[in-house]
Parts: sequence; C-alpha cells; structure tokens
Amino acid sequence: MKKVLALMLAVLTLLAFTGCGTTTNKTAETTPQAKVEKVRIALVLPATVDDLAWGQSMVEGLKAVQKTMGADKVEVATSEKLGNPVDAGAAIRQYATQGYDIIIAHGSQYQSVLMDIAKDFPKTTFAYGSGFTTASNIFAYDPQAQEGGYLLGMLAAMTSKTGTVGIVGPMESGDAVTYNSGVQQGVTKGKADVKTRVAYTGSFNDIVGAGNLAKTEMSAGADILTGSSQQAVGAMRAVAETKGNYWLSTDMDQSSAAPDTVLAAQAYNWEKVVTKIIDLRKQGILGGQHLILSFADGTIDLKFNPKLADKIPAAAKAAVEQAKADITSGKLKIAVIKK
Amino acid sequence: MSSQFEGVLKQIVVLLSALVGALLIGAVFLLLAKSDPIKAYGVMFSGPVSDKFGITETLVRATPLLLVGLGIVISFRSGIINIGAEGQILAGAIGAAAVATSLPDMPALFLLPLVFLVGGLSGAVWGGIAGWLKARLAVNEILSTVMLNQIAFQLYQFLLRGPLIDSKEASYGSGVPQTAVIPQQIWLTRLVPGTRLHSGLIFALVMAVLVYVFLWRTSTGYRMRAVGAGPEAARYAGIKVEWYLVLAMALAGGMAGLAGAVEVTGVHHRAIEGISAGYGFSGIVAALFGRLHPLGTIPASILFGALLLGADMMQRAVNIPAAMVMVIQGLVVLFVVSSDYFLKNPGFAANLRAKLFGQKVDGEGGR
Amino acid sequence: MEGVMNSAIIISILATGIRSATPYLLAALGEMFTQRSGVYNLGVEGIMMMGAFVGFYATLHSGSPLLGIVASLGIGGLMGLLMALVSVTFKAEQGISGIGLYMFGWGLSGLLYRLYVGGITSINGLQLVKIPLLSNIPFLGPIFFDQNVLVYTALLLVPLSGFILNKTSWGLNVRAVGNKPEAADTLGVSVERIRYECLILGSMLAGLAGAFLTIGQANMYADNITAGRGFIAIALVYFGRWNPWGILLGSLLFSMADSFQSMVQVLGINFPYELAVILPYVVTIIALAISFGRVWAPAALGKPFQRGTRG
Repeated sequence: MKKVLALMLAVLTLLAFTGCGTTTNKTAETTPQAKVEKVRIALVLPATVDDLAWGQSMVEGLKAVQKTMGADKVEVATSEKLGNPVDAGAAIRQYATQGYDIIIAHGSQYQSVLMDIAKDFPKTTFAYGSGFTTASNIFAYDPQAQEGGYLLGMLAAMTSKTGTVGIVGPMESGDAVTYNSGVQQGVTKGKADVKTRVAYTGSFNDIVGAGNLAKTEMSAGADILTGSSQQAVGAMRAVAETKGNYWLSTDMDQSSAAPDTVLAAQAYNWEKVVTKIIDLRKQGILGGQHLILSFADGTIDLKFNPKLADKIPAAAKAAVEQAKADITSGKLKIAVIKK
Repeated sequence: MSSQFEGVLKQIVVLLSALVGALLIGAVFLLLAKSDPIKAYGVMFSGPVSDKFGITETLVRATPLLLVGLGIVISFRSGIINIGAEGQILAGAIGAAAVATSLPDMPALFLLPLVFLVGGLSGAVWGGIAGWLKARLAVNEILSTVMLNQIAFQLYQFLLRGPLIDSKEASYGSGVPQTAVIPQQIWLTRLVPGTRLHSGLIFALVMAVLVYVFLWRTSTGYRMRAVGAGPEAARYAGIKVEWYLVLAMALAGGMAGLAGAVEVTGVHHRAIEGISAGYGFSGIVAALFGRLHPLGTIPASILFGALLLGADMMQRAVNIPAAMVMVIQGLVVLFVVSSDYFLKNPGFAANLRAKLFGQKVDGEGGR
Repeated sequence: MEGVMNSAIIISILATGIRSATPYLLAALGEMFTQRSGVYNLGVEGIMMMGAFVGFYATLHSGSPLLGIVASLGIGGLMGLLMALVSVTFKAEQGISGIGLYMFGWGLSGLLYRLYVGGITSINGLQLVKIPLLSNIPFLGPIFFDQNVLVYTALLLVPLSGFILNKTSWGLNVRAVGNKPEAADTLGVSVERIRYECLILGSMLAGLAGAFLTIGQANMYADNITAGRGFIAIALVYFGRWNPWGILLGSLLFSMADSFQSMVQVLGINFPYELAVILPYVVTIIALAISFGRVWAPAALGKPFQRGTRG
C-alpha cells in the first residue's frame, strides 16, 4: 500500500512540475495565415516513410506537391508507425486541433477513427484510402490497383519462360485483394496456360517471411514475381538474388533498390490526388467524394525499367500498351473478382 | 509515522531520479537525431496532462491497460504467467462485436451486459485453453500463450474479412476488414464531449476494486494466492492446484477479453484491425509497475498511459523518427525498474553519498 | 491442389525449413543458457533487432559479412551486459526489464537505421557454402550441406552447448546457480558472475540470430525485421525443456511446419490462408501436449539472488 501511495504522490508531483512546464500551442485553432495562403497537410502512416511501398509513395507524392506549388505554400507534417488505431486517432485529433487543413490517414484501417473525429472538426478535410465510404468532410481515395495488376499480369505471363508467375501477398485485405485479382486476370488474358502461384505471409511487415515465400514460389517454378505492401521489398530482394528472375512492383517504382530485377511498376500518382483535394477544398468541398485512382485520369502510371527493356518480348510490350490504352479510354474495365 | 512518510518520500525521490536518468540518456539520442531535448521532454511531460485532450487520451489508454493489468495480477499471483493477453483481447473484441452486431434491436439494458459477458467469456476461454494445457498436459504457459497469440491474430483477421465483415464493406470489392458498427444504444457514454473518454474507465476502476476484494477477501482468492506462493505446499494442504491454475488463466483471459469488449463499445464502436494495440504487452508492464496489486495497477496504468501518449506526442512536436519514441519508453522502463534496488539497499545510497562527499563510511550498513 | 509434390519441392521445403530454423535455434540456445542460470531475458527480440541492424551496417560498410557477424556478437554482448546490470546487480523484476530492453532495442535499431542508412539498401550477405562430398549425398545433401556458415554454426552449437552444459565445470556451475543458488554460493561459486556470463553469452547468440536475418536471409534491413521471432525463440526454450536437443527439435518442427504450409499455399489450397499460416503454432502446441517426460524448470528461474535469503 505504501508503494501505491508513493506512485500516486509521484503522479501528483509530476503534475505539479509540468503544470508550469513548457506548453505547446496546440489548443484552439491557429489563426489563419493572412499573408501567405499556406496549405497545411498532415500525413499519418501505418508504417515508415521509407518503406519503398505504400507509405513512401504517398510521401514522395506530397514532396512533389510541395515542389510544384512551392514549399512556402505547402506545409507537410508526418507521423509514422501509427498502425495502432488508438495512437492514430490521437495523432489525427491532435493535428486537427492544431489547425491542419488536410489530414491524410494513409490506410484503410483508419476509416473508423476518421468517422469518429471528423464530426468534431467540420472545417478540416480528412482523407483516407483505400476505401470508398465518405462523409461530408472525408474523402476516400481508392486506387484501382487491379488495373495495373492486370497489365503487369499480362506482361508477366507473356515474358515468363517457365510459365509460372508468383504473387507474394501479405494479408487478403485492401490493396492486396484488388491488386492480386487484377494480376491473376491479366495472367490468364496474357497467356492462358500460364499458372499463378499465390501465397500470403499473414502479416504486412514480415520482410524475411516475404523473402522466404518468394523463394518457395521460385522453387515451384515461378520466374516472374510480384507482391504488395511494405514487406514486398523482401520478396523483391529474394528474386534479385536469382539470375533470370524478375519482379514487378506496385505502389511505386522500386527499381532504385533492384535495378537489374524490376521489369516494370504500377505507380500511384499521389501528387495528382492531393492536388485535387487541395483544389476541391479551395472550392469549398471538404470531402464527400470517392476519389478513384486509375489510368483514365493519369493517377496511375505504368513505368517500364529502361535498363531491362530488352528482357520484355516486343509482342508482350505491344499487347500491354494496347490494353493500357483500352483501360485508359474506358473500353476495357477490370473488375475485382473475389474468390 | 514520520518514518513511513520518509519512506514514501524516498520512493518518490528515487522514482524521479530514475526518470531523470532515463531522460538524460534519452537526450543523448535526441541530440544524435538533431532534436532539442528540452523541447521534446517538455512536450512529453506536459502533453498528457496539460489539457482536456491530453488527460482524456491518457485515460483512454489507461482503461484497457488497467483491465489487462488486473488480469495479469490475478495470474501472476496464482503463479502462472499470462503473456497471451494480446490474443485474449482479440477474442473478447470479436466476441463482443459479433453479439452486438447480431442483436441490433435489443435494448441496452440487456444488450450491454450480454456483450460484456460474451467478451469476457471469449477471453476467458482463450486464456483457459492455455491454463488447461498447463494443468492437464504440462504445456508451459509461456509457450502456449505465445503460440495462441498468433493463432488468435490470424483467426481474428479471418473473421474480420470474412464471416463478420460489415456488409457495406463486403459489397465493395476490397472491403476494409471490420465489423459493422455496433448498435448505438450500447455505445459507452462519452464522459467528456469532444473527447474519447468513455465510461469504460469507471468500469475498469470498479473491476480493480472487485479484483482486490476477490483476491484478498474471498476463500477462492486466498487459495489462488496460496497456489502462487507455493504450489507444492498448497497441494499438500489439499488445494486442487490444477483447477486453480485453469481458473487463474481463465480469469486473466476474461479481464483481457473485457478490455477488448470495452475498446469495441467505448472507443471504436466496432471490431477493427489492430484493436489490441499492444495492450497485451503494456498491460504486463503496468501490472508489474503496480507491484502486482490491483489498486496499485490503477496509478501504474495512468502513468504508463501517459508515457505512451507523451512519447508519441513528442514524435510530432519535434519531428523525430517514431523509433525514438520506443527508445525513450524503453529507457524509462529500464531505469524505473532498476530504481527499486536503491530503495531496498540504503547502504548503497549511503556509500554513494559518502564517496561523493568524502564523508567517512561508518560500518557497512545493509546489504 | 495443383502440381505434384515431387522430390525437388520436398527438398526445397526441408532446406528452407533448416535455414529458417537457424535464427530460432541460435536465439533459443542462448536463452537456454541464460535461463539455466536462473534469469529469464524477455528482451531477446530487441537484442535480435540490434544484432540485425549492426550486422547489416557492418556488412554494408565493410563488404564483409564476417565482420557483420563479429559486430552482431559484440552488440549482443553489450546488451546482455545491460540486461545483467539491471536484472542481476539491480535485481529488477526480470519480466519488466526484459520488455524494457525489447522496447529500447527496437527503438534504437530503428533510430540508427533512419539516421545512418535511411532507405531500403541491399547488401551481399552470407553465401551458400557447399560442404564438399557431403553435399553430394542424394536428398540429404542439398538440405543439410548446402547452407551458409551460420546455419552450420547453429547446428553445431547444439551438441556443443550440450557438452558445455553437462560436461564442463562451468556448465555444472551454471546448472547449480540456476537450481540452488544458495548452495552454489556456499561452495564459492559467484552466482552473480555466472549469471552475468550466461546473460552475455545468451545475448551474443541473440545478436547473432538477428544478424542471420539480415545477412543470412533477407540481405537487407527494415523496421521490425524480426517480426516476433525473438518471442517464439523464448517459447521454444520452454518447448525444449531447457535442453539443446529439445530446442533443436522445436525449432525444426516450427520452421518445417511453416515451410510446409507456405508450399501448400503456393501449390494452391482451397481454404483460407489464415488457417495455413497458423499451422506451425498449432503443431508446436500439440507436439508439446502429446509429449511425455518430467518437466522441470531451473528452480531459481526469475528470482534475484540475495545472499542470506532463500534465493
């Protein structure tokens, strides 16, 4: 009991000390900048800023926005490793209280906390993805990963020498579902007798596990592999160690880390999406829109690795380009087929 | 009387010195990361206590920490180590959410207790499995609970994206893995508008008192503590040790399951990914800081919740990598847990003082 | 289930299982020594992360994975020293100090990575070393004798640690300190020193286990690369009942089951992948549940030693 008392007194002492400590100005809205029209954007990430996948692609997109619009006009604050919804909620609420204009919670798991918080901050724009449920001040962005997946699947099927394509999945949720569905459809379309091997690690950030899965798939005959989430780099590296096997990226172009392995990549153009949100906000629209990323408006790109251009048969490249044009024009629609 | 006060005062001094020690080392790392330690620590300490947001968020974290911690207290006191709380929280959360979403029209008077009951039972069953494995098949509980945690995680994911997914999400291709929103009538009352602080806190405080009464004022609790103090002696005295081991794990699991139910009904209003938020682990620290006493776990949970929140706020205020947060938390835990030594060894402090100030050491006092 | 389970695939499953078992084996053998001396170190996961980073960093900048190995042993030893200071000298509650070390190690490795590397970087880690002659044995050859040096080290450590523990006087002291520290103390054995040595040894092996992940498997480093393996290693010590052969069995069982389930997934399954992923965990529990034999733990496990009291 003495110890309990001691702990309680310690708490009180602490309170006494910090009551006169430094305070940060996070109460009340900050007065709007009269001189410079500055947009303040906050980003909440489930993983790290340098994961070379989902998170980093958004970070790079925001950097691009700053570059285009001018760093003095766009302020970006980032909090990472907030996969825990309680901490994420606190962070988002804190950013909102500090007067950030746009708060991007970059993960589908944040939908629930955003719905809760957005009500208390009607003047703030919130955004999350992948998702489709919106509110008056919540945007839901939704990359149609299956489109790029389809194209990459076609490419894989028509380039593969062994007739087997491998997909290394984290868990069957969000991005991974749409992307994998697209890849499998693309493989079938590209060359009907090519097999797809899919396996999941059961986690989003088990890099070693992803690498092991890639090795297993390669031993089962896959020579072109792909996969999503931040652990995909582990799989990519495993593929890089095997000569003659190649990797296809999603989220962003990962060839900087494996220039001799990445054939092509589906890259999300977050700059366009964020710029759109900023513009909509200027027009007074704070949310309520389901922002679809797709080839049609250039918010998704397909990037080929110039270094490995000769590894792709000309027929494959041509077919992919044609399909891409069809998707862009709307002639070809890729649906997400769940098993 | 004054010596008791002196003792308490000494404990505070030692605790604060430990904190200072941790922060000094942490400052080295902060400087390495090119951050201002004074500003960082200012935020870390003032953040959780300086305004409505900070205090309520601290208490939001303290609530599940307390519940999980109480379960840990029960199990440790009975001589069994429960590190399966992460999985038990998930079991409780999914049980609670499943019942809540399947009975949307039941009035709160019946539905809320039912939801809590199911949540607690789900956690109890999950914990009980480990207890039974130990009692009947001598499977060490550390092994089984570590394994059961992963199993629970995967089963939870499966249920969340499969059978229990919100039909709104399921209709769309790549639905978010989460259940439907639970019926509004059982959303726990928000105690302070505009914040997340909910009546689950009061529930947890009540449970703390109940656990204390159970362990120290009932014969079952007495027997469980006897088993914890010495299973062989207890067996000799006729206590059915195996049964109490299972009970201890079931109760510990039940408390964690209740934590899951509370998070579902009070914070998120549905079952979502990541709902256990590491409380299964932090709850152990909270219980141990609280000296494995149910009432001690109350301030320990609040303090630890404040540490978690403050360190996270620091990340935002001084723009440091999130990893720094864990460095500081780890240092604080290490220093505080070491500081005990200085309380138990007055001789050490006296020697140190003597050496520092060149006084004569009069005899080797203490150990 | 498409595809046929041919011998090439079975070899692949088994070879992968041996390779994946290595970090568990190294860390668990280390923890075995620690626990045999009466201390339990829940910080293994944090030490593994530091070992992973330091091993990676040293290899990155020197080009030599061997230097990475040495560096990871060093950082493991340092962290073991810290843990010993807190748990043995300051007699802190070992559960919390372990978790504190885990948090510290996780944070520090992530911080150093961000500050001094920052960004996904590949290294050339350990290469496969074919053992001459033995690797030509059909079937067994490619599984056991075509691995990297750390795998061989880990496998050799099993009989070696058994020998050290059971046939050397130091090992005898360790066991005595873990079971009856007061008796050992009266016989002149320094309980504190033995525990320090075991903690440092155990942590060195944990650091090595972490380095294996970066220089022996992934050839890169990223946050949370250990993904809970440290805790599984600790659990396996209990599975193996503090005996190196039991630990070997547990590590192999767990990893083989994992390797098996991933191949099952790859070849095409018709049930939720989550059920496949939990296979290793279920198998481990069942294996322990159906096994026989007296279970005894080091009697003084977890209790700080105070001369003059019943430790």
